[in-house]
Amino acid sequence: MEKEKENAGKPLEEKWHFGHNKAAAAAGSRSIRGTLSKVIASVEETGPRPLIQLGHGDPSPFPSFRTTPIAEDAILEAVKSAQYNHYSPSSGLLPARRAVAEYLSKDIPYKLSSDDIFLTAGCAQAIDIVIAALARPDANILLPRPGFPLYDARCTFYNVEMRHFDLIPEQGWELDLDQVEKLTDENTVAIVLINPNNPSGSVLKYQHMEEIAKTARKLGIMVISDEAYGHLTFGSNPFIPMGVFGDVVPILTLGSISKRWVVPGWRLGWIAMTDPKGILSETKVIDSIRSILDITINPVTFIQGAIPQIIEKTKDDFFNNIIHVLRGAAELCYNKIKDIKCITCPHKPEGSMFVMVKLNLSYLVDISDDVDFCIKLAKEDSVIICPGSVLEMKNWLRITFAIEPASLEVGLERLKSFCERHGKN
Amino acid sequence: MEKENGAKPSSEEEMMERWRFGENKAVAAAGGRSIRATLNKVVSSVDENGPRPVIPLGHGDPSVFPSFRTTPIAEEAIVEAVRSAQFNNYAPTNGVLPARRAVAEYLSKDLPYKLSPDDVFLTAGCAQAIDILVSALARPNANILLPRPGFPMYEARCTYTNLEMRHFDLIPEQGWEVDLNQVEKLADENTVAIVIINPNNPCGSVLKYQHMEEIAKTARKLGVMVISDEVYDHLTFGSNPFIPMGVFGNVVPVLTLGAISKRWVVPGWRLGWIATTDPKGILRKTKVVDSIRSILDITTDPATFIQGAVPQIIEKTKDDFFNNIIHVLRDAAELCYNIIKDIKCITCPHKPEGSMFVMVKLNLSYLVDISDDVDFCSKLAKEESVIVLPGSALEMKNWLRITFAVEPTSLVVGLERLKSFCERHEKN
Repeated sequence: MEKEKENAGKPLEEKWHFGHNKAAAAAGSRSIRGTLSKVIASVEETGPRPLIQLGHGDPSPFPSFRTTPIAEDAILEAVKSAQYNHYSPSSGLLPARRAVAEYLSKDIPYKLSSDDIFLTAGCAQAIDIVIAALARPDANILLPRPGFPLYDARCTFYNVEMRHFDLIPEQGWELDLDQVEKLTDENTVAIVLINPNNPSGSVLKYQHMEEIAKTARKLGIMVISDEAYGHLTFGSNPFIPMGVFGDVVPILTLGSISKRWVVPGWRLGWIAMTDPKGILSETKVIDSIRSILDITINPVTFIQGAIPQIIEKTKDDFFNNIIHVLRGAAELCYNKIKDIKCITCPHKPEGSMFVMVKLNLSYLVDISDDVDFCIKLAKEDSVIICPGSVLEMKNWLRITFAIEPASLEVGLERLKSFCERHGKN
Repeated sequence: MEKENGAKPSSEEEMMERWRFGENKAVAAAGGRSIRATLNKVVSSVDENGPRPVIPLGHGDPSVFPSFRTTPIAEEAIVEAVRSAQFNNYAPTNGVLPARRAVAEYLSKDLPYKLSPDDVFLTAGCAQAIDILVSALARPNANILLPRPGFPMYEARCTYTNLEMRHFDLIPEQGWEVDLNQVEKLADENTVAIVIINPNNPCGSVLKYQHMEEIAKTARKLGVMVISDEVYDHLTFGSNPFIPMGVFGNVVPVLTLGAISKRWVVPGWRLGWIATTDPKGILRKTKVVDSIRSILDITTDPATFIQGAVPQIIEKTKDDFFNNIIHVLRDAAELCYNIIKDIKCITCPHKPEGSMFVMVKLNLSYLVDISDDVDFCSKLAKEESVIVLPGSALEMKNWLRITFAVEPTSLVVGLERLKSFCERHEKN
């Protein structure tokens, strides 16, 4: 009772032993979600409508991007069977892993087995697990700049040192491999590639990918190939899975159904061991992944149950249509931007759902940087774009073109009008 | 594999030298503490030519059994959500609003105050809630009080995040109540929380009001929050009713964890929550809520269409369904308790009255050639194809955790085989 009286007057921090976790806050701050919510918060209630979202990569609500009924039917069948309400085994259901193995094997020169596949709750969880698995004391990992901030967030969270190498705008956003070699030391464990690329919309060429593989082998590091946008290419460079070079260097391929099937809310992805020499097994990296999977949640069991049908029965028509819409949207976006003086696009997008463009502040009055640009654009024109600062590219912008084409037109017109309004005379 | 100069590597050492990546030992340590890992070992002892079918009394998942099939209303809600094509998108960080509202209303029914949707954070099951919470609390030097026996996911996550664990006992002779004297001795200025699992896994006990009030007061005195893991909420069938710890939210800040996994028997759907049952807003003021949100911002979410189905699942499920599940569990618990009474080498200190499990003590002195609980379970798996969890996995050596939530006919077979095994190995 006395201690309670004593406690009564104390400030909260003294009375209660729990409090703010600064490390968690640091990791959480590196999220696109977090920054975009600040931009969205600037939208005026009385501003133009509708709100045009060119900031995040999720076209699933739009009619032109609706997923195939085959995928929906597969889910419904799995649910109604009542065969998939149980906990999933750690790596995922066998038929689902087998289906993913066959799916990925189509485009590489060797066959994957179901044991090479680990199902995850989306590519986001795949990233979480892979970074966690590599997080030994003193380890560092090479990340692209611009990149996908979830890698940075997870590295911060797991105390893995990050070293950023540049993607070169003037060279189709290819990797600066000289810089990669300079950044690497004996504690470097892996290099992350995102291809087709978020945020730049570039697609890597065969020869460059082969160079990357050889460089990684020389440096003794693995390649983490984030292929969440696998097959979503519509320019001159075809999609080539990095696993094609699995004989040269061990590769962990990350992927999901989120983008190709336009169902990011379904949370179904994978980590694939595209490593025919079994180096990742011998070095026990796979054991580490398995240990983590033993204490981690799995994707929804009935969604796993639907995977074989989703993968095997989806028709090419559906895929071709999505590509067609993306191609048209990318074209529209690129052409409109050419007309905007204060924005330059160094490389026409040919894959994924995004393009990186440079802001030329010297053409603008009273805009201080990319974040300021995006906040004012949201406020005045109800258009949301992702500031490049989130991706460590200050005074660049990431624009999503994967939205309903009619809305994309409106959004780009408003963007143009905003730039003219703030342009110098 | 060739080296740069064309020569083949001669040894494993060379392999390790050549590649800079390797095993994460910290993670290996954490993974080993999982029920999955322990059960996998026991299951591997099952003989190809042994009795069939294999009777799984080791893990808590009755969803595959006809008597436990979930309500068609839940399945319909999912079907509707998928068909609407309104839920294929990424969900907002905390979860879709209608789902959070539905959970807030659901939990508020049993509390003396109302939760708002902002008090609810959706997670991919209770397991992910534990993951997120442990990460949020894992500040340097912090420690957490965990029950023994407990649920090893807490231990695994603490090992992994370096949150120091201090275990307090649940007292078998006192209905598995918390040893509060011991709790006070264990706590220091770095203790951040005490975890209570009620209804209890693995003991099958249900806490009484007065004891819960004492726990709350003790926690307040010690300056720690209560994490109340209520994944088995409402699954009680004995004399003690289910009381949410949030009832004492005015006394001490309580974080309530829950899910639809157990009550609706759909653990594979991965839909759970963290709720701040903390009417004084202390968890918000001390920024624990901010920490949780930061982690949620970089963490994968429950499937959006399952979130979309939650309001219908919660609001339309009939009491008939719930009552039926309780009925099946009650009978199964009774059956289990009665058969165990007939087994000499096993003692059950407290008749189960909730959840899906019971902890029983192994009396090795009655047995020939069984060295401990792990040995017992391996031999039982091999000779009788019955799976039971060794208490060692829960830090209770020479105890066993038995699941009674299986198809009643299978339960009878399993317990008979268990009895027969014991008789076979008992001293004359």
